Amino acid sequence: MKVNDYEVPEGLYYTKEHEWVKLEGSNCRIGVTDYAQKSLHEVVFVDLPKVGTKINRSQTLGSVESVKAVADVFAPVSGEVIEANTKLADSPELVNQQPYGDGWIAIVKPSNLEPELKDLMDSKSYADFLRTQLK
Amino acid sequence: MPAKTHLYDFHVQKGHMTEFAGFHMPLWYEGIVSECKAVRNSVGLFDTSHMGRAVITGSDTTAFLNYVTTNDVASLEPGRGHYSVMCNEEGGIIDDIIVNKLADEEYLVVFNAGNRKKDLSWFRKNAERFNVKIRDVSDEVSMFAVQGPNAQSVLQQMCSDDLSSIPRFGGRSVELDGIKATVTRTGYTGEDGFEVFTWDSPVERPSRAVKMWEAILDHGRDFHIKPCGLGARDVLRLEAGMCLYGHDINESTTPLQAKLGFVVKLTKGEFIGRGALAKEKVEGPRSVRVGLRLLEAGIPRPGCDILKDSHVVGKVTSGTFSPTIGQGIAMGYVPREYSKIGEIMSISIRGKSLQATVTGFPFYDRSKYGWQRT
Repeated sequence: MKVNDYEVPEGLYYTKEHEWVKLEGSNCRIGVTDYAQKSLHEVVFVDLPKVGTKINRSQTLGSVESVKAVADVFAPVSGEVIEANTKLADSPELVNQQPYGDGWIAIVKPSNLEPELKDLMDSKSYADFLRTQLK
Repeated sequence: MPAKTHLYDFHVQKGHMTEFAGFHMPLWYEGIVSECKAVRNSVGLFDTSHMGRAVITGSDTTAFLNYVTTNDVASLEPGRGHYSVMCNEEGGIIDDIIVNKLADEEYLVVFNAGNRKKDLSWFRKNAERFNVKIRDVSDEVSMFAVQGPNAQSVLQQMCSDDLSSIPRFGGRSVELDGIKATVTRTGYTGEDGFEVFTWDSPVERPSRAVKMWEAILDHGRDFHIKPCGLGARDVLRLEAGMCLYGHDINESTTPLQAKLGFVVKLTKGEFIGRGALAKEKVEGPRSVRVGLRLLEAGIPRPGCDILKDSHVVGKVTSGTFSPTIGQGIAMGYVPREYSKIGEIMSISIRGKSLQATVTGFPFYDRSKYGWQRT
């Protein structure tokens, strides 16, 4: 799906802060959306969470930074960080090139998934939300 | 309502806009990183018409400027200029400026956009006992900066005078593609380059300025010239170690604290702030501006605490990611005892304490980048 220039892939869950969540077995892969990366423009640094960190939903998981701006990445779900995308240390531009692919941020083992998932948007709701944001 | 420069239509059409010092200005066109690289490796073009410009004339002009600024204006020959500051009685910096001597009793002074009103009223207030005429030409003369190792080659194609004969901080009147202009070998990037002042081009009738802008872009095409926004301008000046007024210097910092002592000429005679600066020079400033290069991955931002042995000893006044050296860099003030090059400090960035080392300016290798490159 596309909203203006922004890709909104189906099958993912989204937050109002423009993070996405992909369910992979019992884990959640997390990244920032196409809208988020395009708003930041050239990403030059990603502050990654440490593996093993336990986070609550809406806490800061890390940050994605351009020369001029910092965008917090908030945890869309509570749980434990079991993997961080270390490729971003040398190639932060992957967030721009493949926000839903190689530019992912972290994988979290969720601790309270079912109720928290209900608070996330599916692709259709996020696309509607994005449209209202762009007005 | 923010003001517009001559190039407003171009900026809106091609750039990402921001508001800066009361002006609608481009933050970037293609991207901050690629614009920085264009300037370091070839050439970039900036609209700097938001800056303040005044032409000061009259028989006392040299004496007047010598009184309101700290550098020695009497030492300037026509066709030469210098960097300088204006201070208050306490030695605090009112603005940092460039003074260009166009002719014996005629100077073009360039100052910061955000200080346009303040500087003009400071000039006027202190001009009473001098025979000078101060003319604000900020809205009548456009100003562009052509910066980078290929800047001279681009402008030379538009001009029959030999630009290579203009020394750093020198200037002269020329015609560029038949348009009358003054060019000075100055800039805010650390690179070789020129600032181009196009006369008789009021903001309300911008056609001559627009023609100049387009002609420079046209002649720069073979050099892959890029229009550059304020984002790149800020990164480039920080990489070069240059101060941004309102961030790195202000009315409560002195030029000695800011490591701008080279523009303070205490022996030239009386000038505003001399007493305070002479005293501070003897005692030594308590805190001074330093460069900090992060030794770990991260980007320092203005306002971050600078720490020594876990104690907060200063604050970052400017910070960014440097595309040229690929690291986080910053400026800030620290107590003099921690200002030695190589001193290990830390910067607190979003809750993390990251190691940084005190460095000299510029941040880049002077033999590879900048106007002194070999």
